[in-house]
Amino acid sequence: MRIFLVTFLLVAMLSPVTAFAKDFGNGVTLSEETAISSILDAPADYVGKKVKVSGLVIDVCSTRGCWIYLAGDRDFEKIRIKVTDGEIVFPMEARGKVAIVEGVVESMVLTREEVIKRRKHHAEEKGIDFDPASVTSGETVLRIRGLGASIDGV
Amino acid sequence: MSWRRWNYLLHRDIGFLCIGLTLIYAISGVAVNHIQQWNPSYSVERVETNIGPVVGNPADAATALMILARLGEPGKLESSYRPDRNSLQLFVEGRSITVDLPSGHVVHDRAIPRPVLREMNFLHLNHPKKAWTWFADLYAVALAFLAISGLFMLRRKTLRRGLVLTGIGVVIPVFFLILYL
Repeated sequence: MRIFLVTFLLVAMLSPVTAFAKDFGNGVTLSEETAISSILDAPADYVGKKVKVSGLVIDVCSTRGCWIYLAGDRDFEKIRIKVTDGEIVFPMEARGKVAIVEGVVESMVLTREEVIKRRKHHAEEKGIDFDPASVTSGETVLRIRGLGASIDGV
Repeated sequence: MSWRRWNYLLHRDIGFLCIGLTLIYAISGVAVNHIQQWNPSYSVERVETNIGPVVGNPADAATALMILARLGEPGKLESSYRPDRNSLQLFVEGRSITVDLPSGHVVHDRAIPRPVLREMNFLHLNHPKKAWTWFADLYAVALAFLAISGLFMLRRKTLRRGLVLTGIGVVIPVFFLILYL
């Protein structure tokens, strides 16, 4: 009985936390990697396609961990990785770590009102000010619908 | 031994086994229910300060180290990113330090894991997946057993009250389904 209890407790405590901490969702299966700059330069070539990208995690959704921003391979560029709430939850510790992400490229055409709503929500999450007047028109947003990821050191 | 005795013994012992997980799921459940208002796993601190204009090549590691020195930041620089020509974002041990180079305005974001609660949410939301999924399923089956076996522990003098309370417990979710669905 004692051996059973000790074994049970060890399995329960150790297996979930230490063994599976680095992979998220379906993990990463594609072999070929696509540069984020290639997607940003020619989005039409990639929309609807499954890609594998990698980059530095520069921001994480601070409420649900439901998105991350990956830095591009060129200066000043980034791309948003959105995942289904609850299916994948990125930890805040991912900031500053390199992530490999697999997902489908999406393009969304947003009206001005939708842009305001999104930015207002983002500003509330970040605790920063937002002036709706700063948005003058709608925009097209390019993002990756994340299906799996692998992040070292989290 | 009669089936009533078996039912009582199993209800009691499985109930003991479920206490720990039930507390985890209950506490985490309340925390996660209010996810619109707060982050149940981390508290995020945001501190703003000014270190004066930063002169130097933002792509140069020496510039990043100079910024950390001005901030009195003892942590090790892990990585950096340039959001635009005038800004530099530094990552130090899970923290994000964003500097507006011309003005020296610094935004220091720090995510502090909520002790115990983060681990409870980790399990409750099934972030481990794999082996934990099966264990959580087993726990759900155990809870269902406790609910059903509890019904067979009713004695004659508490039968009426037990059935009324059980009925209320079934009607409440149905009421909310009618109200919101």
